[in-house]
Amino acid sequence: MNLASLAFKSSWNRKSSVLLTLFTIAISVMLLLSIERVRQEAKSSFANTISGTDLIVGARTGDIQLLLSSVFRIGHANNAVKWQSYEYIKQQRGVAWTIPLSLGDSHKGHAVLGTDSSYFTHFRYGKKQMLAFEHGRAFHNGREVVLGSDVAKKLNYHLGEQIVISHGMGNTSFHHHDDNPMTIVGILKPTGTPVDRTVHVPLIAIDEMHGSAHNASPRMIGKAINKPSNEAVHSHDEHKHHDHDHHSHDDHNHGEHSHGEHQHKTHQPVESEPGDLIGKPKQITAFLMGFDSPLYTLQVRRNINQYQGEPLLAIMPGVTLRELWGMLDIVEKILLLFSVVVVIISLLGMLTTLLATLNQRRRELAILRSVGARPWHIFSLLTSEAVIITLLGCLLGTALFFVAILLAQPVLQAQFGISLSLSMLSSYEVTLLGGIMLAGTVMGIFPALRAYYYSLSDGMSIKV
Amino acid sequence: MIEINNLVFSWPKHPAPTLDIAELTVSQGERIFLHGPSGSGKSTLLGLLAGINAIQAGDIKILDTQMRQLSAAKRDQFRADHIGTIFQNFNLLPFLDPIENVMLGCQYSKMRKNKLTQSLQKSAIDLLENLGIDHTLQAKSVSELSIGQQQRVAAARAFIGQPELIIADEPTSALDADSREAFIETLFNQAEKYQATILFVSHDHSLAQLFDRKVSLNEINGAAQ
Repeated sequence: MNLASLAFKSSWNRKSSVLLTLFTIAISVMLLLSIERVRQEAKSSFANTISGTDLIVGARTGDIQLLLSSVFRIGHANNAVKWQSYEYIKQQRGVAWTIPLSLGDSHKGHAVLGTDSSYFTHFRYGKKQMLAFEHGRAFHNGREVVLGSDVAKKLNYHLGEQIVISHGMGNTSFHHHDDNPMTIVGILKPTGTPVDRTVHVPLIAIDEMHGSAHNASPRMIGKAINKPSNEAVHSHDEHKHHDHDHHSHDDHNHGEHSHGEHQHKTHQPVESEPGDLIGKPKQITAFLMGFDSPLYTLQVRRNINQYQGEPLLAIMPGVTLRELWGMLDIVEKILLLFSVVVVIISLLGMLTTLLATLNQRRRELAILRSVGARPWHIFSLLTSEAVIITLLGCLLGTALFFVAILLAQPVLQAQFGISLSLSMLSSYEVTLLGGIMLAGTVMGIFPALRAYYYSLSDGMSIKV
Repeated sequence: MIEINNLVFSWPKHPAPTLDIAELTVSQGERIFLHGPSGSGKSTLLGLLAGINAIQAGDIKILDTQMRQLSAAKRDQFRADHIGTIFQNFNLLPFLDPIENVMLGCQYSKMRKNKLTQSLQKSAIDLLENLGIDHTLQAKSVSELSIGQQQRVAAARAFIGQPELIIADEPTSALDADSREAFIETLFNQAEKYQATILFVSHDHSLAQLFDRKVSLNEINGAAQ
């Protein structure tokens, strides 16, 4: 019988307290790993939101506010960029491409982005990845719409279906542009960025659905209400029914329409005539710029920030992303600190348990001494007990961590767009576990030292 | 077997010595009844014999080995190799079964393991059978055994691997009168088989007559009283 099995059997003899300790450690390990995994993934999905864009230009506001509204679709841009300013800046030397962005409308809680075809050729995310189509293609005319993957999945939309874009942000916007149904011609592949939750329409569609009357204040929802709300919702519902007549997928609310006849529209490419995508917009929310050479970036940025026509702001997304993450840094540090403290508390719990039971075990130690165990053996026995408990705690905690990830994955993806990978432990996470093991071993040294001195002083005489 | 000469021992922070033995000799195979009431320095003497405590002055020679010349680690090894111990009660580790408890006797001694003529487990089982612990008792958890049975398991652990010296520290004090004599008899039988020396410590005079020789610690210990 070796030392480890002796330590194991001895621990098992005190299993209620040992198991409780073990579970405490396991839960703390799970917490630490989960928080760290979410933190890492959030950070990387955050940094991957936009790439390859040299400048983001919008009406003058805060750097972070512009980044949030243009890239993350968070918050509202209060002011807009005049179209002629956009046209002017676009002509500057060194500008390789521009992507106009017009935000402020929504479809069932999903942001609607008005843009042009350059979006599909020049927008990059992650590690300079292009947007790719799961089904269909980019829009060719003003009546076509391209969906992010989450939008299509969540609303169960398919190619060829017609949808209505509502005015203003929010899920239950009162005013609907129900005179402008649009055809879904493309569904993008998942990107893990806000693009997944965006409905992309041509700029001209934004312009058309507001009509010239609304153009003066396109984002003032209150002014636009000109019919009773339930009627608006009703008319929208009618439209949805209409959609389902042409479509086989069952939506439980419309079950009576869902079976049988019409299967042909699922992911069939939609043919159409190319048309004007831009129209005559008066203003856009922001635009993205790419340059032939990074050398132009600073110069153009300075020019834009000093532009005479209207107050504009140009930001470098990489810099502002870092700035924004820096603001969140303290929060993530606190989270990390908390989870580390929880681990330390659980290890201290183990220390307490080991020390508390040690006095009752002096007989056990004396018996071992009498058969010739050296104080050093006693020391190793106690230390290996702490190591065993910590090791099992880490293993169980890691298993719980994977279960937690598995459970949290869909929720985090749906709620926050953070895609958690169920991958094996990263080297960083293994290092964390190693740190916990080390800390557990160090904790084990305290009762071991005490047992060492007990065994020296008690000898073979049984004190308890 | 054991030779003690001018042994003086005092505990730290105690000005007067606890133990002062001019001479004590025990020969091989002898069964000694060491009579020591509490306070007579009994535990101290056993600690020195077993090599738990270091000798301060004088000599203890066991099996021609001067204990004073051994380091603490060597004394531990010496104890593992040559001395079997039986305590008053609760001799056994509760988380090991009776057989494992017996096997523990060879845990720290290669020498004792090498003396076995068969496997460690088989030797433990045989020894238990000899001491009256049959296989149904062997299968029980040690807490289910009676105190007398536990003491027999402890005796088996002391004897396994044939150590030359058995130190029994009041092993019968928790037993009733009948089991006492039966236990001592078993002890003697086993000791005879292995030619082991028995140092039996007790304050119960009635057992003294069973032994070859009776030594009163009060009489030989100059530091007592």
